[in-house]
Amino acid sequence: MSEGKSILVDTSRCTACRGCQVACKQWNQLPGTQTKNWGSYQNPADLSAQTWKLVRFAEGKKDNGKPYWYFFSDQCRHCIEPPCKATAGYEEAISQDAQTGAVIYSAKTSELNAKEIVDSCPYNIPRQDEKTKALFKCTMCLDRISNGQIPACVKSCPTGAMVFGDREEILEKAQKRVEQLKKTYPKAQAIDADTVRVIYIVTDDPSKYHQYAAS
Amino acid sequence: MKVTRREFLMLSGQAGAYLALSSCMGIDTKPVKEYVEDLKKIDKLKTAKQTTSLCYYCSVTCGLICSTDPKTGKIFNIEGDPDHPISEGALCAKGAAMLQTTELNEHRLTKVLYRAPYSDKWEPKPLDWAMMEIAKKVKALRDKDFILKNAKGQEVNRLESLAHMGSSKLDNEECWAITTMMRSLGLVQLDHQARV
Repeated sequence: MSEGKSILVDTSRCTACRGCQVACKQWNQLPGTQTKNWGSYQNPADLSAQTWKLVRFAEGKKDNGKPYWYFFSDQCRHCIEPPCKATAGYEEAISQDAQTGAVIYSAKTSELNAKEIVDSCPYNIPRQDEKTKALFKCTMCLDRISNGQIPACVKSCPTGAMVFGDREEILEKAQKRVEQLKKTYPKAQAIDADTVRVIYIVTDDPSKYHQYAAS
Repeated sequence: MKVTRREFLMLSGQAGAYLALSSCMGIDTKPVKEYVEDLKKIDKLKTAKQTTSLCYYCSVTCGLICSTDPKTGKIFNIEGDPDHPISEGALCAKGAAMLQTTELNEHRLTKVLYRAPYSDKWEPKPLDWAMMEIAKKVKALRDKDFILKNAKGQEVNRLESLAHMGSSKLDNEECWAITTMMRSLGLVQLDHQARV
């Protein structure tokens, strides 16, 4: 299925306010987690069964010696052909919503081999809950988008870095934005746009943003 | 089914419309069904009383929609107001966390900590007690120090021994109420945490 819905995450517009990260917690009623200062604004340090959306902060030096500080609002990409779903081979646990294409994990993911599922994800997204052993990740706010609302993260975005819509429309927007950005940033690209529903636009090498930014 | 926010609000009582739609298309969406059935929040949103409010954290003052459960009378969701001319539904991390300021937040402080003069210990005290103590002290100080006339004999009606410190958590209306009250007490020193 190549139609359905998509989300565009234009990192060139992201200011890392983390409104999306908090909106996700708020809507999905996910508890806060104990964190500590590990020298980065990226907090919590990683995704977890309680944190499905995380703004990653990456810093370093460009080839020309100038510093960069990139923001990457990480979440499930809702792949068109999800490797996690194929690996599980168990529709009751991992399925795809017919209308939107959202990849959905149920409580039955506790019956799966968690390591196998996590390793199958090119973007290193699913996380296991220690108590229930079930796997958790972003749901694309299936409850909201099935009821005429946009995902909580997209709604909160103050800079318009995140946009939700029909896949065709989002692909078109991504293409236009990349063309525009290429004038200033020759390395601008829409990461894996043909195979995922959550499309990230970056202005530099994806690996500079996050180890698993691209597949 | 394309529905705008306003139309959606009028669709109350149609919980499960999505499920009906999926099943008549003959697609097996059982896990998806289970998932949607588990989530009561979106259904609660359809019958919720909606009240607009404003985020008080900074001077942008983004718009909020507070959803109140008509059965419990309690707020269960707060998110951006798409009709608000300034924020158009957007919220930053602080505004998006606004629900934490409601009583839903079990970590919210319900008592004050009081340290008596010359004491080295904090004691938890009820908020009502603290309010009364503050009121008593304000009254005593005002009765003692209120200045009716200055050295030239001009009527001034002021209180110079008390100051009020505002907070960036105050919204416009709260600032108005506080300023009015403080001026009526005769205070001349009103300031804000952002200036100190």
